[in-house]
Amino acid sequence: MNKIRYYGGCDVGSTTGKAVILGPDGIAGSSLIPSEVDPEITARLALEKACAAVAGLGDIGNLAYLIGTGYGRNEVPFANENISEISCHAMGVFWCDPSIKTVVDIGGQDMKAIAVADDGTVREFAMNDKCAAGTGRFFEAMSRIFRMDLDAFSNLSLNAKKTIPVTAQCSVFAETEVISLLAKRNPPADIAAGIQNAVAKRCFTLIKRVGLKPRLTVTGGCAKNQGLLVELKRMFQIDIAPLTIDPQLIGALGAAILASRKG
Amino acid sequence: MDTDKWFSKLLDEPLNELVQKSMDEGQIPIGYSCSYVPEVMLSVDGLFPVRMHATGIAGTEIADNYLSSVICSYTRSLLEFALDERYDFLRGWVFAASCDHLRRLYDNLEYLKRPGFSRILDVPHKTGDAAINWYTDELKLFAKALTDHFGVDLGADALAKAIREHNAFNAVLRKIGEYRSGDKPVMTGTEYHRLVIAAGTSPKKPLLPILKKIRNDLPKRDPLPPYRARLLLAGGHLDDPGYISIIESQGGLIVADRLCTGSYPGLLPIPETGDPIAALAKHYLTKTSCPRMMEAFRERAEDIVKLARECRADGVVIQILKFCDTWGVEAAAFVSCIREAGIPVLRLERDYRLGGEGQLRTRIQAFIESMGK
Repeated sequence: MNKIRYYGGCDVGSTTGKAVILGPDGIAGSSLIPSEVDPEITARLALEKACAAVAGLGDIGNLAYLIGTGYGRNEVPFANENISEISCHAMGVFWCDPSIKTVVDIGGQDMKAIAVADDGTVREFAMNDKCAAGTGRFFEAMSRIFRMDLDAFSNLSLNAKKTIPVTAQCSVFAETEVISLLAKRNPPADIAAGIQNAVAKRCFTLIKRVGLKPRLTVTGGCAKNQGLLVELKRMFQIDIAPLTIDPQLIGALGAAILASRKG
Repeated sequence: MDTDKWFSKLLDEPLNELVQKSMDEGQIPIGYSCSYVPEVMLSVDGLFPVRMHATGIAGTEIADNYLSSVICSYTRSLLEFALDERYDFLRGWVFAASCDHLRRLYDNLEYLKRPGFSRILDVPHKTGDAAINWYTDELKLFAKALTDHFGVDLGADALAKAIREHNAFNAVLRKIGEYRSGDKPVMTGTEYHRLVIAAGTSPKKPLLPILKKIRNDLPKRDPLPPYRARLLLAGGHLDDPGYISIIESQGGLIVADRLCTGSYPGLLPIPETGDPIAALAKHYLTKTSCPRMMEAFRERAEDIVKLARECRADGVVIQILKFCDTWGVEAAAFVSCIREAGIPVLRLERDYRLGGEGQLRTRIQAFIESMGK
């Protein structure tokens, strides 16, 4: 009897580590864990957890092919190769829904707009600069000011009556500005709407650089931010295409799909 | 001697060991900052040119008091280094009014840190006969100022000799460059750029025998392991080989360049016949090919495409300094032209100081992957 071949993708992000195991019937296992200080440890823990979810697979060494991606991709010594998260997100989204042609990936410390070609490769991409404003780190900082967890903050703007503009996108300046707005007793929901609006504008700039071609989707941890999705929909006047799997796993999924083509 | 390490060390400080040695021998170092400054005129007997750089700069806290944050970081870094007394060994400097940022740098240096000799060359924005004649006159005044101040000979024979030596030196560097561009490159773009930058920032006479030895030894080298893609690097000022090293770490071998501080057009030969100053004016005005020049966009874009095809580049990377008005505007148009020619292109903005390495790696890797390499 032929042994079942499993393929792995491991996305070592700045905030979370993700792993996806692909089997003959699609996704056989996955994991999502907080990042450790050492990217290699993050990768190992994420992969071990994902492998454990697949009956009969055993340990990482039994994967037919493994691809590392994400900012820590160079630190996955047990991977067969590494591929940029830009290519992986494009492929992951293409696998979920080939009709999606534009992707915004908002992770823990960077933001990327990706134009997906008809075969799931990258047609064009744009990336934010060194500054982490408008990314997961930014939202974490904002939620701390509101004394909320990230999930609660993500939904806060949904109850806004109006949008109070938050002009600064620099995390440090924005923090000061938001504290001032709260001190003046502005409704937190309205301030949160301003924050989501500022980040959506940042996405807009990146997407303009690659060209918006429907359908559009959002991946990465910030894709779970409902307030941001609403703001993006309003800004682009276009529905944000839902994904069939957790948008935070798309990079790892793309890596696993690319691995399955190599192994 | 570990040649790579030795050349890296030359780039560590403006006052490197070759500069110090030449000064000890009585030669006078003159700084300059732009390709429109005819460095040949600073290479006559008694003088030697030092292209100003601020490698390893940690920040521009002092310079930021004088130059706004929307002035390019190269310019601010030069001012910071000047105020940090890192150029105090220079006996003079020459700037070109090539862009407003360098003009503001010159203005500030005039009252903050003026050396014995300080000059800014006015460079026309066109390259026709009238502009060449005008620039010839400007260079004649410049030659007179150098002679008056330093007592050096910039007569026709002295300049003709300097041009011949300049051409001979650059011919060696060009020949070395062929070993990174061929079918089986034996040297990386990083290594080559290190030589080119060292050549611009150090006196040429002591460097020439070392470069000749490198040229003679290169045919004996084994080819480099296969790279994923051959790339042409274009853009303005880039004096840090570390930037190229990051690109090459992702599998993109820089097989040719078109940079203000690179091998093309900077190493092109200068005509050795006729009036030397007129020849210099025409050469520097027409060959430097900076986006500051009006009416020559098509020529510049075609030049990049031609160069990419000649070196069989799989793609072009355009790097520009943030806030560089001239390259910033034109690079966007270059992207369209290069793409129309069917060549993949990636445009990158950067600060003078090397940073954001992780993101640069991701961009380059994704670019190479998007080419199917």
